[in-house]
Amino acid sequence: MQQSLLSLFLILSGIIILVFILVYLSSIQSQPQQGMKNPLQKRFWFITIMVVVLGMFFFITIPKSPYYLYANEQPARIVHTVSSQFVFLMSNQDIDPAQPMGENIELNTNELVEFRVTSLDVTHGFGIYNDKYELVAQTQAMPGYVNKLRWKFSEPGKYYILCLEYCGSGHQVMKSFFNVK
Amino acid sequence: METKKLNKITALWIVAILVLFILSIILGIIMRLNQGELIKIQPPTFYADMTTHGVTMIGIWFVAGMAAVNYFMERYVKTSYTANMFAMVMTVIGVVMLWLSTLVGNFHAGWTFLYPLPFKIMWSTWATPLFLWSIGVFGIGWFVWTISLMAAMLKKYSMSQVLAWQHFGKKDPEVSTPPFVLISMISLIGVLTCLIAAVILLILLFAEYYSGGTFKNDALLIKNLTYFFGHTIANEMLYLGLAVIYELFPEVSGRPKLKTTWYVALAWNLTLFFVLAAFFHHLYMDFVQPEGLQIIGQLASYLASLPSSGVTVFSIIVVVFRNKINWSLTNSLFFIGIVGWVVGGVGAVIDATISNNFILHNTLWVPAHFHTYNAMGNVLFSLGFFHWFSKYATNHSLPDKYSFVKLAILIIGGVGFLLAFYIAGADSVPRRYSTYPKGLESAKTLAAVGGVFAIVYLTGILSFFVNISKRCLNVLFQRS
Amino acid sequence: MFKRTFSTLLIILLISNYNSIANNLYDKQDWREEEGIYTRIYDAKIKLISGEQTSIHQLAAKKPLIVALVFTRCAGVCNPLLLQLKENIQIILRKNQYKFSVLVLSFDPLDSLKDMQNLAYRFNLLNEPNWELAVVDSISSMTKSVNFFPVWDMRKKQYDHDALLVGVNTQGYITKKLIGLRSADEISLLISDINNVYRPSYRLPTPANMFTCFNYDPKTGKNTPGWGLAFIALPALLTVGILAFLRLRGKYHS
Ligand code: HEM
Ligand SMILES: [Cu+2]
Repeated sequence: MQQSLLSLFLILSGIIILVFILVYLSSIQSQPQQGMKNPLQKRFWFITIMVVVLGMFFFITIPKSPYYLYANEQPARIVHTVSSQFVFLMSNQDIDPAQPMGENIELNTNELVEFRVTSLDVTHGFGIYNDKYELVAQTQAMPGYVNKLRWKFSEPGKYYILCLEYCGSGHQVMKSFFNVK
Repeated sequence: METKKLNKITALWIVAILVLFILSIILGIIMRLNQGELIKIQPPTFYADMTTHGVTMIGIWFVAGMAAVNYFMERYVKTSYTANMFAMVMTVIGVVMLWLSTLVGNFHAGWTFLYPLPFKIMWSTWATPLFLWSIGVFGIGWFVWTISLMAAMLKKYSMSQVLAWQHFGKKDPEVSTPPFVLISMISLIGVLTCLIAAVILLILLFAEYYSGGTFKNDALLIKNLTYFFGHTIANEMLYLGLAVIYELFPEVSGRPKLKTTWYVALAWNLTLFFVLAAFFHHLYMDFVQPEGLQIIGQLASYLASLPSSGVTVFSIIVVVFRNKINWSLTNSLFFIGIVGWVVGGVGAVIDATISNNFILHNTLWVPAHFHTYNAMGNVLFSLGFFHWFSKYATNHSLPDKYSFVKLAILIIGGVGFLLAFYIAGADSVPRRYSTYPKGLESAKTLAAVGGVFAIVYLTGILSFFVNISKRCLNVLFQRS
Repeated sequence: MFKRTFSTLLIILLISNYNSIANNLYDKQDWREEEGIYTRIYDAKIKLISGEQTSIHQLAAKKPLIVALVFTRCAGVCNPLLLQLKENIQIILRKNQYKFSVLVLSFDPLDSLKDMQNLAYRFNLLNEPNWELAVVDSISSMTKSVNFFPVWDMRKKQYDHDALLVGVNTQGYITKKLIGLRSADEISLLISDINNVYRPSYRLPTPANMFTCFNYDPKTGKNTPGWGLAFIALPALLTVGILAFLRLRGKYHS
């Protein structure tokens, strides 16, 4: 997914750069002051096309927002997640903030898991990476709030949690994992 | 006499900005090299370095835009030298306080100092208030400057004139608002709004700090305010740069001045609103934020790209397309800067889509796109102005030497530096990591490569620095 | 002028260094509402005051449940809990279309079905369609499954216990709990929650924050602006004010 976004970006950037190079070349090659014919009309079409393209993008992508993921299903598993400088604790049971304790988490493929993510101190990020270290899903861990992230893992394997919100000098070592059978 | 004063202070701004820019680039290169494990610094040092780099960069390119706008504003209205000077003094004090807090006090909560991180003290205890007050000092200085520029404009133009409302539905109204005035005003309104957000943010943070823990803030509210301020100021400083381009690009190209038309007026008036609502895209991954605001965030981010591309970029293309213009270093910088701005905008729109943000948020994609429209956009806008000013104010009319080489170095360095960020972002590499954990295979190599290209970019900047600062120092030490 | 600003700033800075802040900002959260969420509630055999025998899961399968745990001799929180619940539900029923029933269970081994009938009579619940009162087969399994641990106070001859409402969906899962006497809004939230209406997140009960952004209103499903939101709108309003002021001043001077 990320790779196709990168390709999209590179293609669009390439087109843009090409257009500007052509515009530049037209300037140094042209007879004095020919100018653009009917710029207002061209401008109108340009904006119209942009509106249509962006509008399509908007309506296609909005329903895919994470807030609506599996909203109509009943989660098979709840994973309570508490983050604090600089650890993630995950548990099948609720976690007592006075004595926070985590446990090993084993999930099954294709079962709906609900991560209930919060923080004991500062804001952290809860980023789920697969065993190839590709980011597959994320939410924020904000003190005072619980974010519910619902996800189904289609691939078995080891998954890693990395912190995706800067949380202090140990941010880069904040890591955890769970297994999917 | 008056213009001499304005020239001097503008020259002083330019020299100060360039010096701080070079230092900050070095901080940036140190970060990249450390991530590539070519050098080794401790994580707290890295993050203090990162915080310094972030705030300094935002600060200097903001004042660069302001100084340029102030300079050209003098063509239309009488501006206040005192306010300009006051902003300068406050900026200098602010920078000193900031660097003390980060480099000596080791404060390292990042340039967004997201609550409650500044209060989880992992550094000298005095560094937190010093840092927050440094932001306050910047804020006061810039607030006064912004107000004084607005006041100057509003003495001459009425509210509707300064916003070019008389251009709606009329072809040639009696009073025509110059695009420069319109865009400056729109940007300054945005600036004022986000500075007020900063004031509220600081008041709430200080309230908690000085109450000794009896008053507590709400993390979600503070995050909203933080990005209201942070995102908006980073955005508006680009628009300040664009105001200058509207003024200067046709002028140095030997083309007639750009005129305000109904669509220019409309585009910029709309931009004002879109930009102010776009900051919500920083909170997409906070599922606690109401969905309505998330959707507004995506909508506003998309809409903000329409007037800028459809009107501003298009207008520049119309000026250039099939027109023999006088290409010089100044308008080449502007032209390339526009490309950088648009390309960065594409990266931004991709990331401002909620479903993409789900897998791009806080990866290196974010620094990738904002460095694109800063390092290859806004910096070039300002550099173009600096270069033009340094020649204009010293009556220097010789053609520029080695322009092509200078630009080529800047582009090669910049593109390589940025590509390393984008590719790492697509490889899911998190941002703000002093070093990368095992498993993120490409991250280290890309960081090293990015660092090397950044050195090339720095070389390019140094070549500009030498000529521009030499001439600016001449302006500064001219006898009046 | 610079001198004065500068020295004021310095003084403020100096003062600020002597202040420190309390570090443990977040230890006061009440996490008990999070306990046992998404576990299945103990499937107690229950005897309703109508004499009918059933089980909690069977009852829940018909309509999701709000389970309230009380004892009839209670001189403490049970009375206000039931009274307020009844009142709030009347408010909610006018607007909320979701199905649910309230199941009042006794956790006192001394309570008989007769005591529960009397309780229903006292609170005028006998003819309320959404209310059931019952006794359970095993009090200890019941209380354990909802993490509810009343303590017998010898001196007062009373149980010391929380006011607890447990939301159970039709599959018998606990989806939400409310501890303490809560508002109609929060109970309405509970009702939509046991009807499996998904909301991506929620606030934890914290020591009162003065400025929060939003208050979720379950009746309309909308977020109503809290005080905090005013803070987000404030910059724009102040900007408009300042502009108007500058223009008036400008007009006056020119
Ligand atoms: C070639 C010049 C530059 C280099 C080498 C550089 C390098 C870097 C690096 C390595 C980071 C940290 C990335 C990470 O999150 O891992 C960073 C962050 C940042 N840079 Fe630059 N940068 C450059 C130019 C600029 C410019 C022109 C701006 C102008 C606004 C800028 C603004 C920022 C900001 C705001 C951050 C974020 C700091 C934070 O996360 O707290 N940089 N830069
Ligand atoms: Cu963290």
